[in-house]
Amino acid sequence: MNKIHLLLILALLLAAPLFAGDVYSNSHPTIWKDGEILIWTLDTYPVVDPKEFCLSLKRNNTGIGDPKCRLLGEWERDSIAVRYATWLKANMEPGLKAEYLRARHPAMVAKIQSIEDKTVLFMAKDGDNVLVAFFDETASEPKIAGKVRYQDDKIALGDEIASLFFSGPAKRRLSKEERQKLATEPDEYYQEVPNFKGWVGVGGGYAQAKIPLTPDDWYDSHIKSTVRNYRITKDSASLWNFIDDSEPYLTLYAGGTWYGFIGAEIVYRYSKHSVKIDKKDTIYKELDYWDFSQHSIGLNVILSRSFDATKWMNITPFAFLGFQYCFFVEDIGLKSGVDEPSRYYKTRIEFEDAYKGAVVGIGSQFIFAKHYGVSFRTGISSRGFNMYSDPSPDAAAEPTTIGASTIDWFIGGGLEYHWML
Amino acid sequence: MVRRFLGIWCLLFCLLMGCGTSYQWSKSHPAYHQAPAGTLAVIGSENAFLLTRSSWFAKKLEIGADSVQVTMRIFCEKKFLQELTQFYPTLTKIPDKDLQVFPEESQRLDERVFMKGRLPEQGISLKDSAGNIPPLLLILHEVIIGTDLKREDYFDYALMQNESPEKKTSNNLSAIASYTLWDNVKQRPLFSAVDEIQIPIQKPNLGNFEQMTAGIVQKIKENLDKGVVR
Repeated sequence: MNKIHLLLILALLLAAPLFAGDVYSNSHPTIWKDGEILIWTLDTYPVVDPKEFCLSLKRNNTGIGDPKCRLLGEWERDSIAVRYATWLKANMEPGLKAEYLRARHPAMVAKIQSIEDKTVLFMAKDGDNVLVAFFDETASEPKIAGKVRYQDDKIALGDEIASLFFSGPAKRRLSKEERQKLATEPDEYYQEVPNFKGWVGVGGGYAQAKIPLTPDDWYDSHIKSTVRNYRITKDSASLWNFIDDSEPYLTLYAGGTWYGFIGAEIVYRYSKHSVKIDKKDTIYKELDYWDFSQHSIGLNVILSRSFDATKWMNITPFAFLGFQYCFFVEDIGLKSGVDEPSRYYKTRIEFEDAYKGAVVGIGSQFIFAKHYGVSFRTGISSRGFNMYSDPSPDAAAEPTTIGASTIDWFIGGGLEYHWML
Repeated sequence: MVRRFLGIWCLLFCLLMGCGTSYQWSKSHPAYHQAPAGTLAVIGSENAFLLTRSSWFAKKLEIGADSVQVTMRIFCEKKFLQELTQFYPTLTKIPDKDLQVFPEESQRLDERVFMKGRLPEQGISLKDSAGNIPPLLLILHEVIIGTDLKREDYFDYALMQNESPEKKTSNNLSAIASYTLWDNVKQRPLFSAVDEIQIPIQKPNLGNFEQMTAGIVQKIKENLDKGVVR
């Protein structure tokens, strides 16, 4: 008994390819839920019965809802459609891509375009086979083309066609208004680069004298230096000889780009640095605190490129180069009870009124829903020579400018609001 | 050393100038498995031949300027059919008017190369005067005749708007032929191509035109054989 079963299964497996259809090309068209299937055939007696075919569809695809099927009489009576159908029947061959089955006659193309959200199923009996082509409004060629083996049993044939051409999830049909709206909507990936895009942002970050991937000994002398007697350091080339270099900062900025390419940005940055007093120096017993606040204002030129990574996120990498002015505001206080500060306190170090420097860096903005941005940036900024003194012939005789080469590396992020004009 | 330098410079030059812009001038249908042999029908030849610089040719060939177009059209067609008969002894000619009823369509050969011409409608087979349906049809769309013509100037849509320079000297008599081998039974284009022929001339004479027409036929025959998909 078992052997007979096995043989039967084997025979069925071998016979299966005989019944299985052959799909020549398939571009996976939309299958509509509760759709309208229009059966277009040249045969005097259609190979399937529309009502039975609808039942086959429901049996094979549970998600298809309640489809309606009928013969496409209006095309069967149209001479242009008849000519194309005859041609299609003669030309549907295995291995031939759907593009070779394109309708050429303008009237036929127009007919296919006016299918709207219905489905036209072309069927033609060709010897032992039934040629089947699936049309929708989106292309003037069959979306699926193939053949199935002809059987006298219309229900079995219908089942086979249904399983071969209507598998996959079915989508809800759109209402007339929804279709109209969809037709007038621009392509989701189509977006014109705005003439001007602006942003304001607030952010923070961290800065230090050491630039990553550079040797420590470039900075050691500055970083490890301390201030004795309110003014004495190893050298005074960098402000980091006097004050702490590694501090967090806060920033406010506003900028804009033109044509998604070139832009400008004004940046304000604030950070607080304590003076590195020499703890061993007894003179500082009178001192409660001694800090410098750094305020810098800069203007950057930005070069950027905008990418629409997804429908809701835009990525804009950028590079910037600019100049800045830095001001250091001293904040010093003596301990309570100290009436008269020392002589050294009164002659303590003074920084220049303002420093001028350059900023260079790279970053990227991530803009969500066209307005809300997160940005990251890193770069190097410098503050240098006293901007008020012109080089003079006796420059060599003049005292060195304090902090003439103060450079730091920074990394930070910000939250931004973007708008487009 | 010098040679290596020269090679590098040539390479750089090529990269910069983008030399080697190659065009695909023909297209075969995947079902084109057998080139026509012996038997062929031809359509479109009556109105295909088109003379550019017609007044210049009229002067050189000593034909009236008003009639040069017609005269040369008839002359070239006669020669064309004669030559074609050599390769395809059973040649049937179908009158152009049978094709004129169909709209003009374009066929894409390459990224930027499109050829234009009339093709029979899907589902309609053209018949010869005896009422038979010839299986293969050579549809001659257009043969542009002139001097020193380049096919990209006529068929590359990016170059089509370029104006041709005023020329005083002409080195070649040239012809650009566009044609389609049509499967008349299944109504599909089996092979489409644009060919270019250059015949060196001193002073144009009718002999040059004969030579040119023979050249076109030769080239069509060659390409039809070469275009077969195996």
